[in-house]
Amino acid sequence: MAPRGGASVQSSAEILKQKRMRRVFLGALLLLGVWVAVHCRQLFVFADSETPMKETVRKLADRIAGIPGLHGALRLDWHPDEKWSEGEATHWLDTLQEEFDRHALQMSEEAAAVPLTVYAVVTPTQVVLTAKTRVGERDEVRIVAVPRTSLPPVELHVAPVRLERQLIYESAERILDASSLWNGSEGGLAVLLYKNFEVLALRVDAKGEVRQSVTLGVADLKPVRDPHAAIAPHGDQVTVQLWGQACDFSWVSPAEAKCHAEKAPAIGKSVWRIDTVLASPCDEANWAISQPGSDPTVGDVLHLVPDGATQGGSADVPSEFPGPVLSVNAGQNTSSALVVARNLRTGNYEVYRITLACGD
Amino acid sequence: MKSTESHWLAAISLALIAFAAGTSQASPPRYGGTLHVKLRTASASLDPRQWTPGALATASNEKLASLVYDRLVTLDDYGRFQPALATEWTHDAANRNWRFKMRGGVRFSDGSLFTPADAVAALQSTLGKPFEISAGENAVNIRSSRPAPDLVERLASGRNFVFRSLPDGTLLGTGPFSVVESIDGAPSDLNSNAIKPAHMKFQANENCWAGRPFVDFVEVTLGEPALRQLFDLQIGKADIAEIAPDLVRKARQEGFRLWSSEPETLVALRFDDALTAPASDQLREALWLALDRDTMANVLLQREAQPADALLPHWLTGYAFLFESPMNLERARQLRAAFPSAVAGVAQPLRLYVDTPGDLYKLMGERVAVNARQANLLVQVALPGSANASALSAVSGGLHLFAWHYDSLSPREELEEFVKQLIQSGDLPANAADPEQLFLQEHRLLEERRVLPLVFLPGYVGVRTNVRNWNASVWGDWRLADVWLEPDEASAAKTGAGSSRRSSSARNPGAKP
Repeated sequence: MAPRGGASVQSSAEILKQKRMRRVFLGALLLLGVWVAVHCRQLFVFADSETPMKETVRKLADRIAGIPGLHGALRLDWHPDEKWSEGEATHWLDTLQEEFDRHALQMSEEAAAVPLTVYAVVTPTQVVLTAKTRVGERDEVRIVAVPRTSLPPVELHVAPVRLERQLIYESAERILDASSLWNGSEGGLAVLLYKNFEVLALRVDAKGEVRQSVTLGVADLKPVRDPHAAIAPHGDQVTVQLWGQACDFSWVSPAEAKCHAEKAPAIGKSVWRIDTVLASPCDEANWAISQPGSDPTVGDVLHLVPDGATQGGSADVPSEFPGPVLSVNAGQNTSSALVVARNLRTGNYEVYRITLACGD
Repeated sequence: MKSTESHWLAAISLALIAFAAGTSQASPPRYGGTLHVKLRTASASLDPRQWTPGALATASNEKLASLVYDRLVTLDDYGRFQPALATEWTHDAANRNWRFKMRGGVRFSDGSLFTPADAVAALQSTLGKPFEISAGENAVNIRSSRPAPDLVERLASGRNFVFRSLPDGTLLGTGPFSVVESIDGAPSDLNSNAIKPAHMKFQANENCWAGRPFVDFVEVTLGEPALRQLFDLQIGKADIAEIAPDLVRKARQEGFRLWSSEPETLVALRFDDALTAPASDQLREALWLALDRDTMANVLLQREAQPADALLPHWLTGYAFLFESPMNLERARQLRAAFPSAVAGVAQPLRLYVDTPGDLYKLMGERVAVNARQANLLVQVALPGSANASALSAVSGGLHLFAWHYDSLSPREELEEFVKQLIQSGDLPANAADPEQLFLQEHRLLEERRVLPLVFLPGYVGVRTNVRNWNASVWGDWRLADVWLEPDEASAAKTGAGSSRRSSSARNPGAKP
């Protein structure tokens, strides 16, 4: 019989060994936990945006796999919605193939294989997936649908563009808006100033020199803390829209400027910041300029995103400004726009021309 | 068909791109002015309870009604249902019990407050079975005896507007405009053969819950000749005008700014129920095989239409490509050869009543007769209102050429109405909201060959360049409350009637010089 002390010594060694093993085990468990946590999160994030699409495709694969008498190799004939980008169509195709594999559907590219035609069509409210194949002498059709709103946002395929920014005019007075005077080529700009509670329209030439200044005698113009306005020249005629007032005048006879009360479209500045769309010079894509931020104390970043896509996608082109952006006015040259921003470092108001150019 | 469809879609895409380019110059919205609209229909009704589903007039009625009334929900271009008079909604797992919470503080055009009871009364008269509608606390509850996953599609389209019916029959709305003038068409004072077109005038609702619309007035002229509408667009007497499909090519050539919807009208043939003579199944089959839809769409309609193989359009169901109507004259003749002489179309001509008025439909009827003759079938065309039509209508049995306008964003509702109005072959099964079940129902109806689709027609609209923010939905909702008018040099240069006509925009003379 082994002495108890010996047994005790032996037992301590075992305990040490066990403790070491437990540490290794706990470490491994911890690592496993971290791995699971990371991957579960990834899975969760993935599932969050992909589940409805995958579930729909899985449902279609289920229905196809359940077609009575369907045997042998199938050749996939894929017809994505014509409005989808190549990337989007490929994503759906990959998901289809994945689910077909999972359902043990024998897919083949052999010409002799039975065609399995799958169409994806976007209707006003749904994405409809239709599969059609032939079993013996009969056609078999399976259709599933998913609400469009439950799918991840569309990523549009567009040629790479960059945004070029050029400072073209600045003033210590508040610039309300600026608009291009386009007459086939860049013919300067019309600038709307708010100076000492008066509204002035300036005609500025292509070199940045003020050629004409028109004071708009607007009766009953309420002073506001956050003035926003718009100037729209059409040849010699100019229309100015202010808060609750509108004016029309001509550069030729500015003394005849006529202003009149007009119903304020809405309280706030959203009225002036309507969507601006630029045409890409690289392809047929249109790019929308995001709404500027609303904090007048910080610099703004304008985002250009493919028209119809959402901000923050892979095709987002940002452009930083030294202060808040006050107005964005698309030029008559469809690939450029004028941006009025306040430079928070100098306190000046600045007019930039932003232009879409090809390439990264 | 695929290649035609691609051409067609490409044309629409180009038109849309051109359109986007034309409107991409951002300028601030302008308030004021009068928007002049010309519609092809001769008369209009603003009472949704009187509209006939599928009728061509219903399309115009709906466009005008959307100026005056609101819906509980609307559908945007991204497939999202947007709150309108209902701010939120919920339903049970079976999609049978729905609850719509009503927006507070909404007023009718006479200033009275909108209540859930108004929505209940209006929807009871338009939604029909199988829906039971009741008012709750600031809410409307809708119960369906069968699953209704498509209820919001129904509420966002068709005649499901919300209105209040006054004892004198007047209907009030909460929409962006109210009616200030409505004059029926009448014989002209100058020429007794001419008709003075009907006219309606709508005024902006200053207190509209969704914001005042941009234009002050919308003036609508109804039923002027199609060419006259095009001319009015050209000279600035119209800002927006419907363009007849057979004039679209001309409008394109003349450089009009054109917009088109997805196909919104089906032109088709329908056999009379009375036509149950022996071998009528073969007669239907033979005529179906003889029809040359491609020529109708591409030659007769100059590629401004799509050959139709289905009852419902592809953009609505997503599965219409599954249906095919291959022309097979050989087979049609074989079937015809086996007919007994008693069958209509053999010894006696089969009468084709053109139910829809207009030159286009007459031409299509004549084309059908030509196709039938190629399969040795005798078809005699009877035009609406003509002497031979009234004489022939006394004789039972025959064929009808008709146009069906799609009103609903729910494919199931559309097919249900189609069946109810035209085929009277009973209700669709309860599970027909499932797209596969709906396809099977449509397939069954097409196989019966009681209705033979011919072509799908989109809606075409000419829009003057001074109309901004034209953002109509592809299913034909014009969204006129969102458009504004820019001054345009052409109209500024005009004098006389044009300039005096626009003097109503005193609020913002800049909008319409």
